[in-house]
Amino acid sequence: MRYIRLFVILFLSTSLIGCASGMAYSEFQPRMPSPSPDIGRIYFYRPSALGAALRPDVMLNNEKVGEAIAQGFFYVDRQPGEYEVATSTEVKRTLSFVLDKGQSRYVRFSTSFGFFVGHVYGELVDPDVAMEEIQDCKYTGTP
Amino acid sequence: MTEGAMKIVRLGPLIHALLIVGCAFDLAHVKYEPVRIELAGNGVAAFTLSSDTKIQGAPCGYSRTLRKDTSWEPVGRLLEGVVYRSQEQTLTIECSNVFEAYLVIDGANLVGFYLPVEDGFSALNEPVQLPIVGQR
Repeated sequence: MRYIRLFVILFLSTSLIGCASGMAYSEFQPRMPSPSPDIGRIYFYRPSALGAALRPDVMLNNEKVGEAIAQGFFYVDRQPGEYEVATSTEVKRTLSFVLDKGQSRYVRFSTSFGFFVGHVYGELVDPDVAMEEIQDCKYTGTP
Repeated sequence: MTEGAMKIVRLGPLIHALLIVGCAFDLAHVKYEPVRIELAGNGVAAFTLSSDTKIQGAPCGYSRTLRKDTSWEPVGRLLEGVVYRSQEQTLTIECSNVFEAYLVIDGANLVGFYLPVEDGFSALNEPVQLPIVGQR
């Protein structure tokens, strides 16, 4: 019984370590500058706290743009074009998509568990779905 | 042979299986052919779907549901059919990697997906008839 209690405490505490702690999207959104109409915006968010200890780098066309932090979000503005998103977990799983001018794209990170370690991977999500899921995520980008 | 060695021999197949499972992540790829997209041309109309349509036979066994009332605009043409995209539904196909995908339609049949970043065509196993309405 004592071991079960210890396991539950350890599991809960390690689950929460690494969660984002900034301002929630719903508070932050009014402060966000509107992107220029000639460029596009890419949102990255990770709504679940599952595997929070994993905080892989987020690479956009091989450039680090942030970290996939549990319950966090950030965004980047980019020229229209073709983009590839990857995370720095040991299994490379990429997401490729097109960004148009004036368009917002939403990349949701989810966690899957491999045999030995977890993996964080990106999915392209519809704006209406993303808008619901991102509301409670905390801003983890550059202040 | 010692008892310890016998245990290792007995565990051999299990260890081997675990190693294979660990390697499987990189093995599944979306199969696509390189293609060249051209202008859709005159007489190609946008359309709307009259009902939810489940697409089976996508790569790696994933299924997708095209939503009712979504509008699809022509963006080009391949030898295999006309390429359509929607501003109302994000569509991807995936195996190990995830690719944004547009519909490729021949007549009223969905025959596969166009991958805009890769300039590739990924065919469905079987064409799927789409409930197309409201062509304009």
